[in-house]
Amino acid sequence: MADSQLEATVAASAFQKQWFADLRRRVFDDRQPYALLQADVPFELFDLVDIPAVSNQWWAAIVAAKRQAPSFLDAMDADGLHGDLCRYCSLGYASTRYASAGEAPWGGLPTPRLLCARLTCDCIHRVFSLWAATFGAELFEIDHPGPGDLPPRWWELGRSRWRELVEPHRLAFVVSTLERLVERLEAISGRRLDRDALRERLELVNQQEEVFDAVRRLIAAAPECPVRMTEQITNVMATQWVRGSTWALAHARAFHDEVKRRVDEGVAACPGERARLMWIGAGLWHDTAFYTAFEASHRAVFVWSMYLAFGPDGYIRYGLDDPMAALASRTASFNEYLHNPPWAAEWIVHQAREHRIDGALVLRPRSMKPGATGRLFIERALEETGIPVLPIEADVVDARAWDPDSARDRVGSFLDTRVLQ
Amino acid sequence: MQEPYIVASWPSVPVEIVRAAGFRPVMIRGASSPTPTADAHLEPGVFPSRLRQLVEDALTGRLTHAARIVIPRTSDADYKCFLYLREFVRRGVTTALAPIVLFDLLQSRGPDVPAYNVARVRALLDDLSSASGQVPSADDLRREITRANTARAAARHLAALRCPVPRVAGAEVLPLLAAFWEMDPDRYAEMASDAATRIAARPPLAGPRVLLTGAPVDRHTLHERIESHGAVVVDELSPWGSGAAGDDVRLDEDPVAALAEKYRDDSIGARTPVDALRRLTQSKLDEVDAVVVSLPPDDAVFGWDYPALRDVLNARRIPHVCLRCDPYERPTPVDHAALDAMVSAASQLQEARHG
Repeated sequence: MADSQLEATVAASAFQKQWFADLRRRVFDDRQPYALLQADVPFELFDLVDIPAVSNQWWAAIVAAKRQAPSFLDAMDADGLHGDLCRYCSLGYASTRYASAGEAPWGGLPTPRLLCARLTCDCIHRVFSLWAATFGAELFEIDHPGPGDLPPRWWELGRSRWRELVEPHRLAFVVSTLERLVERLEAISGRRLDRDALRERLELVNQQEEVFDAVRRLIAAAPECPVRMTEQITNVMATQWVRGSTWALAHARAFHDEVKRRVDEGVAACPGERARLMWIGAGLWHDTAFYTAFEASHRAVFVWSMYLAFGPDGYIRYGLDDPMAALASRTASFNEYLHNPPWAAEWIVHQAREHRIDGALVLRPRSMKPGATGRLFIERALEETGIPVLPIEADVVDARAWDPDSARDRVGSFLDTRVLQ
Repeated sequence: MQEPYIVASWPSVPVEIVRAAGFRPVMIRGASSPTPTADAHLEPGVFPSRLRQLVEDALTGRLTHAARIVIPRTSDADYKCFLYLREFVRRGVTTALAPIVLFDLLQSRGPDVPAYNVARVRALLDDLSSASGQVPSADDLRREITRANTARAAARHLAALRCPVPRVAGAEVLPLLAAFWEMDPDRYAEMASDAATRIAARPPLAGPRVLLTGAPVDRHTLHERIESHGAVVVDELSPWGSGAAGDDVRLDEDPVAALAEKYRDDSIGARTPVDALRRLTQSKLDEVDAVVVSLPPDDAVFGWDYPALRDVLNARRIPHVCLRCDPYERPTPVDHAALDAMVSAASQLQEARHG
């Protein structure tokens, strides 16, 4: 039984905390600029002009995991923001706007020089406008042109034939917007973006994601899952925000080597594994213990989440003669890969088969309306493949309406009646 | 024989383009009628009534004869609806469906957007022209713009009879304004002018003047409910009401570019930039006595604007109420009580102001 965490997981957690402390020191002591970004913004551009960047979703996950979300969310409610508005993308804003309502982790977010978001869901423009106004900081928006053509098996096109995946007019638009973003970043940092350095960075990102691809294959092929899903997420999250950096690549390799060692030694997260589960949707950040709650009772292990799986399929771009176009091709369609028909359902079914999944838990987000779309297609596609599905209604950062016992009972019953029968 | 038509999910598709290509625009709107077939395929609480109605129509064969189903990029829900409809066809959930087109007119204000939008309007024109076999010249487009501008002028004249001195109830005038999007422009101009002449002869209506804001309504059901409490809805943030006409489309060398600009700048929807909506709202506050903010259960956007709007209204001592009900369902007793209280407060302020 793999009771102890991987060394890589401990190192990843420590890295994140230290990285944030360094960020605060740089901002407060050295008065250097930093940026607050939506998770799907190309972080590489910021790092290459020496503007560190914090992911909104990562910060929300930290706030929720530290059990600080309810006080900020109560303050949002009290201010008249109704309960059907997305809490995931706005928890960070709430921790700034209603700072006195709670205690933000690690001293809280300092004031950024710039906020940047892709306008995917309709609410993003609202949330980031409010957040930027609260900070008195600049906001840069990357609009999201919608694809009219979605060729099948996107994950096979994305690596080498990415120009076929994104219609030319959409690709040109995103490239043009990213070029404007670069101009702003150069003006803020006083540094020029080196295009050769961008190409090299994207090559390193490819290498990092190839390592994660190898980890994914190890997990998929191992007789029993060697590493818990929660540890997969910790290691992937820590590296993705600084992807392509020396530390990230080294850490990905260390993570891979440790997982491989477990596979070679026959170490399983849950020896005697009887059911392999997948989690579909964003992580349940306020109750990550949920993901290990069925190991002792049912020998059921969460094997798969999008966090590890999406890196290799969503990020790798070969053919970097025009690195900005390659970067734009990755940026252009994130939401469609993960949420929307036909892409999300066919990818998840493909992943379920590769990972020998026995049952799927699909998040029905309470307040993330765009995140809630597409899930019926996913649920039906999995059921048609013979994989039983249990929808889980929850908010990923808001624990106030979450009944952990009841949720565990429902999953236990699902495992008994549909997965392990 | 039925006139060829296209179906659109929101009035942000340039009707001038549609008509120049030889089609009649039909806009889908919300309704209280049930949508059992759509409900089996759409997640609850995400899609507004109009999109549920559209999917119901699509899946029950009622859109078989449309030349195109055009989904503008007015909101994320519209965009998702486009992807869903395509998927229903791909998976064989329905086979009898017109080709589905995404009209990806972006609403943000970045410098890259205008050129992108011009290309999208041109692509729509090309697609509709290929469907009809009728390829309009630039002059044909200008002719349609001129006709629509005439209709716009008539709609503006009609809207002017609502505020500052209301001579027509919101529930009565909204259908007249909304007809701009679907009627032949010449007939519309005639109808709206006749209506304006009749309405202008009426005495002013009593009762507090209400602005309806929040999520844009597409019918007059909420107007009726508000007006049943003794108020008059004199304006609304919606392309179906006083916002239907907007300013004229400019007539110049490139009518496609003019239309792209007009339909970005005048669009009212979930992706309209918050600053533009805020300016629009505040420009209307001088001429109203109360404000109703409609935030239905599918709202994911307009609720974000509420605290700032509430602060402005409180500072200006304008009574307001926030309704969370679906405009097509009956308001709760709590909603009715809140409307009563708002109308009462507004009436008192109105009396104090006018003696």
